[in-house]
Amino acid sequence: MSEAVKKDQPKVSVPTVTFSLDGQSVTVPKGTTVLQAAKDVGIHIPTFCWHPQLKSVGACRMCYVEVEKMPKLMVSCMLDAMDGMVVQTDSDQVRQGRKAVLEFILLNHPLDCPTCDKGGECDLQNLTFKHGVDDNRFDFKKARFKEESMTTTFDDKKIGPEIVLNRNRCILCYKCVRANKEAFGEYDLGAFERGNITQIDAVPGGEVCNPFSGNLVEICPVGALTNSDWRYKIRVWLTKTTPSLCNFNSSGSNIDFYKEDHQNKIFRVTSRTNDSIDDGWISDITRYGYQVINSADRLQKPLIKKDGKQVEVSWDEAINFIAKKYNDIKESVGRVCIGGLISPSLDNRSLYSFSKMIRTVCKSNNIDFRGDYRMLPNNPDSPFGVLRSQPFSIAEIDDSDVIVSFGSDLIHEHPNEYLRIRKAFNYTQPKIYSMMPYSVKSADVANIEYVYTPGTDETAINAICLAGIEENVVDASMATEYIKHVVPSTLKDASALCGLDEAELKILARSIAEGKKITFLVGEIVTRSKARDIITAALLNMNKLFGLSSKGQISILARYANSKGAEKLGILPDPIAPIKEALKNDFEEYPESEPRNTDGMMAHIRKEEIKGLFIVGSNPMMLYPDKEFIKESLDKLDFLVVCDLFETETTEAADVVLPLAGWAEYDGDYVNLEGVCQSAKQAVKPAGESKAAYEIVRLIAEKLEHKTFDVESIDKGVEACLAIDTTIKLPNEFLDIKAESEDVTGEFSHPIFIIDDAHHCGHLTEKAPSLNNFTAEAYLMMSEELAAKNNMQENDPVRVESEVSKLILPVKISESLDSDVLLIPRNFQSSPVTSLCMRKRRIDRVKISKVDE
Amino acid sequence: MILTEDSIAKIKAKAVRYPRKKSAILPAWTVAYRQIGHVDEAIYKEISKVIGVPMVEIAEAATFYTMFPKKPRGKYLLQVCNNISCALRGSDSMITHLENKLDIKLGETTDDNQFSLIAVECLGACATAPMVQVNMEYHENLDATKLDKLIDDLKAKKD
Repeated sequence: MSEAVKKDQPKVSVPTVTFSLDGQSVTVPKGTTVLQAAKDVGIHIPTFCWHPQLKSVGACRMCYVEVEKMPKLMVSCMLDAMDGMVVQTDSDQVRQGRKAVLEFILLNHPLDCPTCDKGGECDLQNLTFKHGVDDNRFDFKKARFKEESMTTTFDDKKIGPEIVLNRNRCILCYKCVRANKEAFGEYDLGAFERGNITQIDAVPGGEVCNPFSGNLVEICPVGALTNSDWRYKIRVWLTKTTPSLCNFNSSGSNIDFYKEDHQNKIFRVTSRTNDSIDDGWISDITRYGYQVINSADRLQKPLIKKDGKQVEVSWDEAINFIAKKYNDIKESVGRVCIGGLISPSLDNRSLYSFSKMIRTVCKSNNIDFRGDYRMLPNNPDSPFGVLRSQPFSIAEIDDSDVIVSFGSDLIHEHPNEYLRIRKAFNYTQPKIYSMMPYSVKSADVANIEYVYTPGTDETAINAICLAGIEENVVDASMATEYIKHVVPSTLKDASALCGLDEAELKILARSIAEGKKITFLVGEIVTRSKARDIITAALLNMNKLFGLSSKGQISILARYANSKGAEKLGILPDPIAPIKEALKNDFEEYPESEPRNTDGMMAHIRKEEIKGLFIVGSNPMMLYPDKEFIKESLDKLDFLVVCDLFETETTEAADVVLPLAGWAEYDGDYVNLEGVCQSAKQAVKPAGESKAAYEIVRLIAEKLEHKTFDVESIDKGVEACLAIDTTIKLPNEFLDIKAESEDVTGEFSHPIFIIDDAHHCGHLTEKAPSLNNFTAEAYLMMSEELAAKNNMQENDPVRVESEVSKLILPVKISESLDSDVLLIPRNFQSSPVTSLCMRKRRIDRVKISKVDE
Repeated sequence: MILTEDSIAKIKAKAVRYPRKKSAILPAWTVAYRQIGHVDEAIYKEISKVIGVPMVEIAEAATFYTMFPKKPRGKYLLQVCNNISCALRGSDSMITHLENKLDIKLGETTDDNQFSLIAVECLGACATAPMVQVNMEYHENLDATKLDKLIDDLKAKKD
C-alpha cells in the first residue's frame, strides 16, 4: 500500500566505512557506532544505559571494546566506526574491564535479588553471573537511601500512581530520565543531587504520571523502577508470554501478555518491539488496559429481562429467547426489521460474521460500527470517505520533511504517532505544524501551532490554500480555478474568520508547497464533527492545489483497534462497490433494503420502522454525542440484545445481555490504521461463560435461519475482502466550499470538546484499576486564564450547563489550553458528558458557574 | 510572584545571551539568589516560567550545585574560610568562637534569623588570613576581639 508513497525516491549514496570487528570485516554507513555495527552483524555487546531509540551517553561503561592503537578500552556506544579500525569485543582485556565496571556498579547495590521483582529478567543479575564477579573488595558500609515512611530496610518510594522507585537498586544509567525527556517530551522525572547521593526522583512537588510512564519501568535494567501491578504478584519465570496487540489504539501496538495458566490470569503487558509500528514504546493505556480482562465486574452469564429485572440464565435459554422474539417480530411486522451496531475494537472474524448475520439472516443494511459519531454520511464515497480511505504509513513519518497534524490531539488519540513525530523532531528535524481548535500539549514539537476558532475548520484549511496562492507557490491556473469554488476567497477574510495570522499561514503554505515529502494527518476533530464532509472537501481541495498526495501522504487516521478493518470488511450500511461485490459473492445474496447508519437506525427506531437491535461491544448510551436521542430511541425498541464485557448503560436497557469475551481471550486478527493485518493470540480462557463475538453470532444465526457460520467460511470471506484495495480515487475537480457558521447564543458561550482522557479510551478502561490510579473521574479542563476569570481553583466543583442538560464536574487546570474552550473526558460512566451534546450541533456550547458550598 | 519585576527583567536580559535556553539556568539563579538569599521549589517554578525551561531541569541543576542554599538564611551570612592558609592562622578556633557566641552550629541559622554560619573554601585572601566574608564584604586579619566587634556592630546596625 505504501508503493504510491515510495515512488520517485532517489537512492542517496551514503558514505561508508569498513573496519574489522572480531576478525570479520564490517561495512557500515559513516556515523554508525561500533555498538550498533556489532548489533547489526549479530555480535552481542552488553549494555545498561544504551537504548536503540535514545541518544547514547556512555554512562554505564559496560559496552567496553578494545581498539587496536587506542591506549585504553573504549565505550562502543560512543565510538563511531572508522575506516581501518580493528576492534575486539571479547578479548581478555575487555572481559577484565567489564568485570571491573560490574564491581563498581555493585559497590552500593543491595543484592536483594530474592525479594526483587526484576529477578530473573535483570540485566545486572544476568551480566554479573556471566562475568563471574562473585566477591566484593569493598569492605565498607554501603550507601543507603531510606524513604522515611518505610519501616523496613527497603527504599520503596512511590513516585507516581503506578511506579515505585528503589534508589538503592538504581545503577544511575539515566535511561528513564532520558527516555522521559527525549522520547516522550515529559518533564516529571529527573536525576537530582550529585556524587554518592545522586538519585532519580519525581519532579519536586509532582509525580510521574505521564501517559507513557509505564515504559520507564520496562526499560529499567535493574529493579529500581517497578510498577505496582507487577510488584510482589508473581515471579517472571512462572509466567508464559503470549503475543498480542493493543485493543485501545489504532496503530495496533505489539505487546506480550505475561500470563499464568493455573490462575488463568494475565499479570502484565510489555512491548513487543515492532519498529514499523511502535519503536518499542507503548502508552499506559496499552500497558495497563489488560486489567479490563481480569476485572471482577465482568459479566459471567447471559441475562434476560424478566418482569423488568435482568436475571441470569443459561446460554440455551438466552438463544432460544432471542429466536422467539425474532420470530415474533418477523410475524407481527411481516418482515425482519432489525439493525446491528458493532464495536470497531473487535476482530475481523467477529465483524465479518456480524455483517453476514445482519445481511443474510436479518436481510437488512442496517449496520454500522460507528456508535459514537454523530450525523455520519451514508455513502462511502463522500469526501470524508475518500480521504479516510487514503493510505497512511507510520514509518513514513520518519523521513518526512514536513509534518502537519490537523485536528488531532495526538497524545490522547494517537500516542504512537506522536512519539514517532517526536522521534523525527529529535533526529531529522522536519518542519512540524499543528492545527487545532484548541491548544494541545502534543504541539510542543511543532514549529508553529495554529489555533483556529472552533467551528471554522474548513476556513482554516481554505486560508492555507489562499496563503499559498498569495505567496505564488502554487500553480497559477489551478489557483484561479480554486478561488471560484471557495467562500471566502481572499486570505484576509479567511484568516479573519478563523482567527489565524496571515504571515504564519504563509509560512505553512510555503512549507507544504516546497516540502519534498509530506505527512499530513487528520484526526478526531474532523471525524467527530458534524461538518466532516465540508472539512474534508476543503482538505481534498488543498491536496489538489498543492499536489500533496503525490509527494507524501494525507489521510484521516482510524481511531479504534479495528476501525480500518471494519471499513475494509464493509461493516457499513453501504460499502464501496468492490466490497459489496465480494460480499455478494460470499453471502450468495445481498439485501436490497435501504442502507442506514447509526443515526438512520435510531431515527427509524423512533418511527417504529426498526423493532429490534443487536449491539455488540458498543456503548452508544455512553459515547454517542446526544445521550437523550439514543436513550429515547432504545426505549422505543421492542427487542434489544447487547453483548458486552461489563454491565453498561446500554446493557441496562437490553432485553437480553450476553457476556462477551475480551480480546485476550480468543485468537483474532486486527487491521491497524496502515491497513496492516496483525494477529492477537489467546492468552487466557474467557471469563465465566463469556464467548467471543463471532461465536455468539454463530449461535444466534444458526438458531434463527440455520445458515453456515463456521469459522473457515467466515475466514475465507475476510481474506477476500482484505485483499481488495479500498482506496477511493481522489476527485479531479475542486469541490465547492462555503464556510458554515453556527450562531453562538449569548448565554451558552463556551465551546466544549469531548475527549478521551490521556489514560483512558472508550468505555472499558474505567475497569482497569491502574488506569484509574491516574484518572478516576471526569473533569472539566480549562485554561488558567479562564479559571482565574471565573475565580475557580483546581478541583472546585463547577456546574456545566448546555441547552439540554447539566453536570457538575471538578475543575482541572490545563497547562496547554489558552482559550475559552472546555474539555471533558467521556470515559466515565458516572459523568455522562454526552448528555450535554445535541447531535445536530456542530460545536456544543455550555455555560459554567461555580457551585457554592 | 516572589521574584520582583526588576529581577525578572534582569533574568530575561541574561537569558537572551544564550543560544540554548537551558544555559540561562545558572545566571537566573544568581539573580534570584541576590534578591531572595536562597532558591527553592517556588523559585524553580517562577524561573521555569520566565526562561521557558521545564522545572525539573532547574531542580536537577539546583540540587547538583551545592553552593546555592536551598533554605532561607539569616540576614548576615558569615562565610569563614577554612582552607590551608586560614586554617594555619586559626580559622578553626574562629569557627568555635562564632558557634559559641551565636549559639549555633556550623551550617545553622540563629533563631532571630540574623546570622548564618558556614565554612567555605579559599576566598583568595590568604595574605590577610584568617578571614570571614559577610554577605558580599571581606573582613580580614581577624582575631577573637575583632570578631566580637564585627558581630556586635552587625547586631547594632539598623536598616
